[in-house]
Amino acid sequence: MAGTVRIIRRFISATIAISILMLVFNFILLGVWVFKGINEGHSPGIVVQKVAKGLHPSANTYSLDSSSAELLNQNNAWAMLIEDTGHIAWNYMLPDELPEIYSRADVAKFTRSYLMDYPVFVWEHDEGLMVVGYPKKSLAKYQHILPITWVSSLPLRVASLVIGNIALALLLSLFIGSKLIRSIRPLVQGIQGLAEDREVYVEPKGVLANLAQSVNRASDLLQQRNNSLKNRDEARSNWIAGISHDIRTPLSMVLGYASDLEENIEIPIEQRHQARIIRRQAEKLRSLVSDLNLVSMLEYEMQPLNKNPIRLSALARQIASEFLNNGLDEHFTLEVEILDEGVKVNGDEQLLTRAITNLIQNSIVHNPDGCQIRLQISLDEEYKTCSFVVADNGMGIYQNQLPDLLELPYSAKRKHPRQNGHGLGLPMVARIVKAHQGHLILYSDIEKGFSAEIVLPSIMSD
Amino acid sequence: MDEIKNKKLLIVDDEDEIRNMIDGFLRKEGFARIYHASNCVEALEVCRSVKPDIAILDVMLPDGDGFSLLSSLRQISNMPVLFLSARGEDEDRLLGLGLGADDYIVKPFLPRELILRLTAILRRVYSPPMQEQRPVFQLGGRTIDLEGGIVENDGTEYPLTAKEYALLFKLYESRNRIVTSDALCQAAWGDDYYGYENTLMVHIRRIREKIEINPSSPEYLLTIRGLGYKLVVKEV
Repeated sequence: MAGTVRIIRRFISATIAISILMLVFNFILLGVWVFKGINEGHSPGIVVQKVAKGLHPSANTYSLDSSSAELLNQNNAWAMLIEDTGHIAWNYMLPDELPEIYSRADVAKFTRSYLMDYPVFVWEHDEGLMVVGYPKKSLAKYQHILPITWVSSLPLRVASLVIGNIALALLLSLFIGSKLIRSIRPLVQGIQGLAEDREVYVEPKGVLANLAQSVNRASDLLQQRNNSLKNRDEARSNWIAGISHDIRTPLSMVLGYASDLEENIEIPIEQRHQARIIRRQAEKLRSLVSDLNLVSMLEYEMQPLNKNPIRLSALARQIASEFLNNGLDEHFTLEVEILDEGVKVNGDEQLLTRAITNLIQNSIVHNPDGCQIRLQISLDEEYKTCSFVVADNGMGIYQNQLPDLLELPYSAKRKHPRQNGHGLGLPMVARIVKAHQGHLILYSDIEKGFSAEIVLPSIMSD
Repeated sequence: MDEIKNKKLLIVDDEDEIRNMIDGFLRKEGFARIYHASNCVEALEVCRSVKPDIAILDVMLPDGDGFSLLSSLRQISNMPVLFLSARGEDEDRLLGLGLGADDYIVKPFLPRELILRLTAILRRVYSPPMQEQRPVFQLGGRTIDLEGGIVENDGTEYPLTAKEYALLFKLYESRNRIVTSDALCQAAWGDDYYGYENTLMVHIRRIREKIEINPSSPEYLLTIRGLGYKLVVKEV
């Protein structure tokens, strides 16, 4: 599952980032805090160095400059200068308890550690050895004696420490993450199901129980809404089908008797003519009823499609021949332009014929002075879609009226009232095309002709 | 012909007025033995007692639908059946024809259409099977004999090959109308036009050599550019 994998990947990288950040932070803290603590004020090494430099011999005795004295006072430290003979040549604030003579062994001993518990530090001086002592228990002296191999492998050790930390963080985050994912997975599946409009149920348990309940409630609501929408569509479609049915029976009688009267030679010619008008109007009503029914079935996706592979070029020739055979007015020309003979679509032949016929009929009806009508079949470069264009060079309509043409007549979405015809022709075409997973594109402008392009998914021709 | 007019007809429809209208038209055409039924039960009763030769059934009846009525009728009779329905949905049409109905007419209908289809069924079912006569017709000075598969000109006979015959027959069936190249290929090769363009052109040229006075500027077998061909026959 792509979603959970992504979540766990994010989770792990976040954990790694956090642990690296913490490592860096710790190092900085260690550096700043610990080493600053050690070097608070002047380090004893520097103090003893300065004191050694600040002590000058002057007329049999020594004088300490004021800055060094200040330094010693600040640290509560004492100082002494031991001559090569082991005697104290000079001192400053020397505690009384200390001996006055030091052997070399003594010097070696206190240099490494303490002089009578005073932490002491030594530095060379022209006249002997400078010793600075700090108060008892104020400083701890450690000697770090490290093997060279340990020192040289230090970077490696630090690196492996860091890597070990990262690996541990990774393992921990994987463990925690997978536990989390296990509890999230049903939720993720549930939400994905919602997006795909499936009915879902997530067992509400664990920390995310109320989230699961929300998902379940959302699913229930969606299903309810879908059902009510479907019911409403079905009701509408059935209502229109019912009306059509109820109109058809009385219309049979009108049509039947009108055409009977029309053919009755015993009736005066004028009345027969009137009967013919009744018959023609009844026929109009008949086509309106069946168009209305078809459009409503398509609108509510209840029209069964009888799909078969159809070669568009054959369909175009068939429809064009039909128009010419039925006596196309001489003001009109109809030509077929096949750019790709083999283009095939999977479609309902009757419905597609109906759509193309509607488009040609539109061109004829809206251009009473005649026009050239062109049917064109083409395939796109990627062989995925093909188009069936019905174009005329007639009067055209304003561009801004084009969107209106696809809306059902009397629909609130329609901005302008319909002009002529029952207005179902183009909406029917659009819905037939949609039922074939295609789309309808209209181009027109005033005096620039009208062109309708039906774009359909093509199937590979063999 | 009178044989057909003498057949017994059964009209099943719940609307009296529709039944009476159809009855009127049929009587005007010369049918006399017409029986009515307004529901399934009556229809089955009439079928048992009168044994009609053909039935016109409505699909929607007060006590059941026409499809199940047809199934029940089939158990007692093999008569041809024509559905006359106010339900125009393709599904219903296919269901009706699939159940073995001989035709399916959607209301509202023109009376002439109903009578033409009805007599066509009666003729097909009840007329003695006679040898179907293939047409013989004139094109200019030549006689095209589709029965013998021969074109005759000034006493010379030119036989037609099987494909030429199939093409010419198809063109003659829809004479004076455009027949698309696709339909012609379907008729001659039972296959798609795609790939047969040149073969079709060759055959058309051969037919023209036999039927036209001047094959390169044909008078009878015309090319309709981009669509197909048309055979112009002046009806006598």
